[in-house]
Amino acid sequence: MQEFKSLKDIPEQDYFTGGSSTCAGCGPSLGLKLALKVLGPETIIINSAGCMTLLPLYPNTPLKASWIHNAIENAASTAAGARHGLDMLGDKDMNVVVYAGDGATYDIGFASLSAAAAKNERIIYICYNNQSYGNTGFQWSTATPYGSETKTTPRGKENPTGTTVVNKDMLKIMGAHRVYAATASLAYPVDFLNKLGRAKERDGFSYIELLGACTAGWNYDPRLTIKISKLAVRCGMWPLYEIEHGMLNLNKDFSELKPVDEFLNMQGRYRALPPNGVERLQGLINEHWAELKEYNGQRYV
Amino acid sequence: MREEEIPYKGIEGIPIIREPGNAAKVNRGSWRLVRPVHHRDKCTRCKICYIYCPDAAINWTPDGPEINLTSCKGCMICAEECPTGAMTEEKEGA
Ligand SMILES: Cc1ncc(C[n+]2csc(CCOP(=O)(O)OP(=O)(O)O)c2C)c(N)n1
Ligand code: SF4
Ligand code: SF4
Ligand code: SF4
Ligand SMILES: [Mg+2]
Repeated sequence: MQEFKSLKDIPEQDYFTGGSSTCAGCGPSLGLKLALKVLGPETIIINSAGCMTLLPLYPNTPLKASWIHNAIENAASTAAGARHGLDMLGDKDMNVVVYAGDGATYDIGFASLSAAAAKNERIIYICYNNQSYGNTGFQWSTATPYGSETKTTPRGKENPTGTTVVNKDMLKIMGAHRVYAATASLAYPVDFLNKLGRAKERDGFSYIELLGACTAGWNYDPRLTIKISKLAVRCGMWPLYEIEHGMLNLNKDFSELKPVDEFLNMQGRYRALPPNGVERLQGLINEHWAELKEYNGQRYV
Repeated sequence: MREEEIPYKGIEGIPIIREPGNAAKVNRGSWRLVRPVHHRDKCTRCKICYIYCPDAAINWTPDGPEINLTSCKGCMICAEECPTGAMTEEKEGA
């Protein structure tokens, strides 16, 4: 596939319509709309229980591609099964793509994801990461960032930090499976869709993790979905990079990161995070960024 | 591959939706508190609003963006991201 250079190159066909019941301004919905521009209608999307399960609600669907709703535990094994079935039927062109949340990816479905990646199954696994169990009301997952309030990590007198656990380094974990692993952002659609285009052509497993800004859970005005997504990249909360054959490639480099405060102040989930919490979070970001800068262009995992 | 080519007989009672994208007919306009209004004179046809609409409620035409008010939920991402002020906001029912 030819690489897109600017927004103007992005295809004008959509295989995604309105009319779904996801929130106004929903980041993960936008992620799938964009992804289908590259994937096209010859695609089977395997979804695990989560917010995106609300997209097709019988008897209506916004999708112009096939969709299998799956248990939260095993989207990756369903995808591997679909791939094998298609291969036996001689259908090599159908894309098999998982679209699963972070709870399903980092936690509940991790075993099947890890197995499919280790076996290098020819599927594309997109994790839309809204940093929580969103559909059940915004509970903590191992993708939730330090300092975020969730329903199960509420801020209070005894614990003013909210989430005290530091989120898993999922890219490194997936990179260590010797597959293609990349982060992506809604505010950088050209980068996201080029990564997807490359994944589509790979003869093996690809893992793309898209930060899915969530207006309801992150608690912000829906109009800010893109602004917040962009700030996440600019402040180093969500660096854009990829790992292939263990080698690290930083896709968006900045001479200086923006301080994290601006990103935090836009969202209710960080309201009243005390200064020492902000400082710790900034420290974690700086540490991760320094690591990415140090290993850029080199063997990382 | 077409459905009838699949060597699988189907199971009674599984809800299969056979019309791709039929949710386009569902009216989400009632969700809106505000609506986007497009001003052709200020529009540079940069496509930003079209790319970023999460509900595919902006169609791209040779003439630029066209808002579909059946699908538009009124998130206002299009107005927020428009670099020229060609997309503005109006209160619903005003
Ligand atoms: C084994 C199991 N536990 C719990 C649930 C209930 N459940 C349904 S959706 C959901 C949230 C999933 O979170 P995530 O994968 O991050 O997707 P999101 O809702 O955030 O889009 C949960 C916990 C379930 N379906 N299966
Ligand atoms: S809760 Fe978040 S992820 Fe779920 S539909 Fe709403 S905005 Fe989208
Ligand atoms: S973002 Fe603004 S200028 Fe660009 S196409 Fe849309 S309305 Fe026109
Ligand atoms: S307000 Fe939101 S849903 Fe409506 S056209 Fe603009 S971006 Fe799309
Ligand atoms: Mg989630």
